[in-house]
Parts: sequence; structure tokens; C-alpha cells
Amino acid sequence: MNLVLVGINHRTAPVEVRELLNFQESRLAPALADLLHREGILEALILSTCNRVEVAIRARDQVEADPIIRNFLTEYHHYDLNAYDRYLYWHRQEEVVRHLFRVASSLDSMILGEPQVLGQMKQAYATARRVGALNGTLNDVVNQSLAVARRIRRETAIGTTAISVSYAAVELAKKIFGSLEGKTIFVIGAGKMSELAAKHLLRSGASAIFVSNRTFDRAQELAKAFHGTAIRFEELFNHIDKADVVISSTGAPHFVVSKAQAEQLLAARKNRPMFFVDIAVPRDIDPAVNQLDNAYVYDIDDLAQVVDANKKQRQREAVWAEQIIDEEVPRMLRRLASRDVVPTIVALEERLKLIRDSETERFHGRLSTLSPEQRETVNELTRGILNKILHGPITELKSGAGRPEQGALVHLIRKIFGVGE
Amino acid sequence: MQVVLLWIALAFYGLGIVLTLPSIIQRRLSLSLASLGALGLGLIAHGAALSVQTAETYSLPVVDVRSALSLFSFLATLAFFFVYLRYRITSLGIFMLPLAFVLTLISAVHAETLPQSPEFRSGWLVVHITSILLGYVGVFITFVAATMYLIQERELKSKRPRAFYYRLPSLEICDELYFRSLIFGLPFLTLGIVTGFIGASREWKGPWELDPKIFAALITWLIYLILFSTRLSGNWRGRRSAYLAVFGFAAMMVTFLGISFLSGQHGYFPNFGSKP
Repeated sequence: MNLVLVGINHRTAPVEVRELLNFQESRLAPALADLLHREGILEALILSTCNRVEVAIRARDQVEADPIIRNFLTEYHHYDLNAYDRYLYWHRQEEVVRHLFRVASSLDSMILGEPQVLGQMKQAYATARRVGALNGTLNDVVNQSLAVARRIRRETAIGTTAISVSYAAVELAKKIFGSLEGKTIFVIGAGKMSELAAKHLLRSGASAIFVSNRTFDRAQELAKAFHGTAIRFEELFNHIDKADVVISSTGAPHFVVSKAQAEQLLAARKNRPMFFVDIAVPRDIDPAVNQLDNAYVYDIDDLAQVVDANKKQRQREAVWAEQIIDEEVPRMLRRLASRDVVPTIVALEERLKLIRDSETERFHGRLSTLSPEQRETVNELTRGILNKILHGPITELKSGAGRPEQGALVHLIRKIFGVGE
Repeated sequence: MQVVLLWIALAFYGLGIVLTLPSIIQRRLSLSLASLGALGLGLIAHGAALSVQTAETYSLPVVDVRSALSLFSFLATLAFFFVYLRYRITSLGIFMLPLAFVLTLISAVHAETLPQSPEFRSGWLVVHITSILLGYVGVFITFVAATMYLIQERELKSKRPRAFYYRLPSLEICDELYFRSLIFGLPFLTLGIVTGFIGASREWKGPWELDPKIFAALITWLIYLILFSTRLSGNWRGRRSAYLAVFGFAAMMVTFLGISFLSGQHGYFPNFGSKP
């Protein structure tokens, strides 16, 4: 399994360099075809995103693979790759397996656990499959990397915590209300941030939305966009008690909701909880409201603090994810190794049979004087020698099936007997 | 036979608890099938042990303290199972399962069959103890849910999410669970107390109303009644009712354990159930 991977990512190279080596999506298929047509390349995969470019290949020979990839990249991008050497990383054999597993699982991403890279990997896989660039070992590795990524999503919480301020608001709302199904949102002051938070909340199932703004036109505009109701700013307190989540971002220089007002709201709501998201500076909600039972007030710094904690949480989850990778890589290698065994045995048998046949053919004239019985004896003799020779390597191949070092053995036996891969 | 089954149940419970640990530490979304399977097998073995005992003694296994503990932990584990299937709260296991395990262990260690006094055959006592146990299971879950509520509430108010924030369910779920388990437990507690009064007034000699355990039980029952009505009206929603639920459970523990040592007629513990 001669796997080689060369790559560049957000950690090794600045965007000025990454963009030079980027593959446009529309040109990916021809690029793969080009790579595949080069002598010695058996399989290829190109993953190109804004944070990384990865070119993985299976070559006929390890040593000759490097210059082929180098030439391909240099010719394709019209840049001398040697000038960018310090930005590139090269992986070989099981390192390729590990790297692809980690990339697909988003352990190598700028934002740990982000879900996009898995989609991008799927896309790259589909494109490579379509042009026939994946058909053997590398295909299995890429395919398994998708399965490993799904397992990590399922078995760890690496992708579950919110890492943007507006998603943090949704996450907190869910920690308070369970489901957002049927919950009401009240947006005070139409701004970019509150719009975003409201959008996320609605997408998570919140059913009704009210919008209030100093300029009523703007409130109507936003309410229309969300299929909600616009409320005049003066009538705010006639309606706000319906709200489970209040998102506030007015330019008011003083508090819009005081502690006493919040107390009245909670009483009107029979103490059903209220969640205030205060993204205004200066703040709109008196922080003392947070002292009231069943009222939760998060200002912009509080949300940032939650995002911070969530990022750390993702790092802790990544430790479990790495353990899964450590478990999956040797498993993959074992599978690949035993996959190579049967074809190797078949090829070996065929190779020796071919030698025997051609040699018998060569002596055909000199053996023609033999009686049929004698000729049968010669046949038996040569077959016996063949089987004796084959016995050792075949036993060794079979007994080693499933061990990681099997790959090297298969490689060695193929080399000794002149059986190509 | 019964004891063997009980130990088998314990082994499965133990296995189930160990298997829940990775789910809780790694914050997986659900318990593994293996751990649910182990708990299920434990429940089957435990149920069989209780059935065998019922068949041998011709009465429900409630009339001595060790059988009562065994039945209680069986019911608590069963309740966990159902609550898990409904709410998928993995962290509930960490609160409930070890306790059920320890109580089963106690009843397995003290497994000698005790001589039965004729009072234990009487129907009202079996109804009394069975309802009380079912009520206990209900308010035990109420207590656990209220505790989870209080911890999660503090996490949210502090605005600094720590380990519990990620592992505990939402406030809404905790609230729903403690109210529902209370709705389940309170009628059984009521029935248990009423049958207790009837039985005591008929069979005990002397002023049964002055028995400290009966007094404590009444107070506990009152606490839960207040909890129920204030939660229903919405006045005490949230933190305050959760505190009351915890207080109610503490009062119940005092009733169950503490007062048993003081009560003359209700000596469940002092002579380990051999005499009422």
C-alpha cells in the first residue's frame, strides 16, 4: 500500500500561500484526471478547502511518488513547488491513514469539531470516485475516514457546544427551556446581532416572534422578514410578558428593563422562566434582574464567556476523539493488510505456474521422446517443486494476516518473486 | 435460590453501572445498549428473586426491612429504566443506580428468612408498606430531579459553565420530571399513610396518634402536599419548589430511618423486622 500525502493547512501556511495551491471546485475533476494519467499513480484524492489543500495518492512505488506529485503541483499551479517546501507536510503509509481520519473528524480544523470539513471530504470523495480515481486501498481509507468521523460525532460531544455568540444564546435557551418548540421571542431594537440570534432561535423551533424598535418602520420591516408581529416601542410592556426569550440591542443610554419591571413580568407569567439576551452596549437589561428567580440575564460578555468555556469543552472532547483515532488506525491497517494477502497468494501461484509452463514449453522438443507415463512423472515433479517453493511464503502470508507489519511482508514477497502490485 | 438470584441481579447491576460510566464521563448522547441490557437482566433476576420469595412466604416481600429494601431498590431501578426511556437523561444514572445497588447489597447480605409474626399476614400492612414504598420511589425521583434542577440553575445563574452544565438536562426537563414523579408518588404516600392509620387504630394498643413515626410521616406528607399545590399554582415555580422537594426528602429520610429507632410500635430497624 504505497500511500503518500502532501498537504498545506492553516497552521503551516498563511492564506497567501494556501490560495496559490488551491484547486477550484470546477477544475477538480480534470486535475484528478491529469494526476491519474501520470506514470506510477494508481489512485488519487484532492481535498481543497479555504483552510487546507491535501493531495493523497497511492503509487506503484514509494520512492518515485514524490517527484510525480511535485511535478504535478508545479505544472498545475505554475509555481515552483520547491519555493514553498517549508509550508508543506508529507505523510506516508499509516501516517496518511491517521491524517485523513483526523482531517475528516475535524480534529485538524481551525475550529475543533466544526462540521463543514466532513461535508467537504464527502464531496472530494464523490468527485474522485466519479472520475475513477479511487478503486483500491486509498478508496477504503477515505471511505473509512468518513465512517470514523461519523463515529466521533456520535460517541463524543466534540461538535455539540456552541462556539459563536449567537449560537451560545440558542444553546442557553435550550438549557433553560428544553425544547424551543412553541416558545416566543421578543426582539427589542433591530440590529444585525439580534437579527442573527432571532434567526437561530426560530430555526431551532421557536414559534412566534415580536419585534419592537424606536423607529416603528424598522420594526415592521424586520417583523415582516420573520413573519412576526411589530410592536410600538411605547407599548412594549403590554406584550413583553408573552416572551420566553428577550433579545435586546437598543441604543438606549439607560436600562430598558429594570428589576422591578422584570419582577412584574415574572408575576404576570406565573413564574415561567424568562431568558434575557442583552447584546446592547450600554446594557439594556438591569443585571440585577439575574438575581430574580426564573430570570436569566446574559450580556455580551457573559455570552463570550460561555463560548470560551465551550471551546475548552471541545478540547476536552478532542482527547476522547483522539483515542478513537488511535483505535481505528491500527484496525484499518490490519484490514488493508489482510486485504492484500489473497490477491498476493493468487498472483504468486500464477507467476510460478507461468514459469513452469514456459519452461516446460522450452523443453517440449527434448521431452517428446518420453512415454506418456514418463511425461506425467515430469509434470508431477515440476508441480511438486513449485508447491514446495510456494509453501513457505503462503504459510507466512496467511499466518501474518491481520497484523500491522503484514503490509511490509506482502511488499517483500511481491518484490522477491517479481509480482507487481 | 432467592439469595442466588439476588446476587446475580447485583452482578448485573454492578456491570450496568460500570458500563454507564463512559457515557457520563464522555458525555455521550445515550447509554450504551450493553449497559441498558445489563440493567435489564439485573431487573429480571431481581424480579425473579422477589417472586420466589413471594411464593415461599405466601406474602408480598415487604414485611421485613431487608425485603422492603430489596423491593424498593427493584422499583427504583425499574423507575430509572422507564424515566431513561422517556427522557434520556444519562446523568440520572449516576444519582440513582449506585443507591439502588447498595440497598440491594444490604438486603442480599442479610438474607436470612425471618420468622413471621401473625400481624404481617394482615392485608392492610402489605398494602400500607407497598404503597409507602411506591411513594418513596416517586419522591426519590422528585428529590433527584430537584437536585439536578438546583445544580443546573446555579450553573446558569453563575454564567460560567462547568462540567454539570454540559451533563445535566435542561431546567424544563428537571422541572417536568420532579413534578411528574411527585404526581406519581403523592397518591401512594397518601394511601400508605391512610392505611397506616387504619391499621394502627385497629391493632395497636395505646395512644397510636402519639407515635413519633406517624407524626413525622404526617409532616413529610404535608410538605409534599404544599410542594404539589404551590407548584400547581405556579407561585413557587423553580428554585423554591426544588428546595422544598429536597427538604421533603430529608424529612422523609428522618421519618424512615431516624424515627424508627424512637418508635415503640414501628420498630422496623431495632430488632430488624422480627417484631412489628
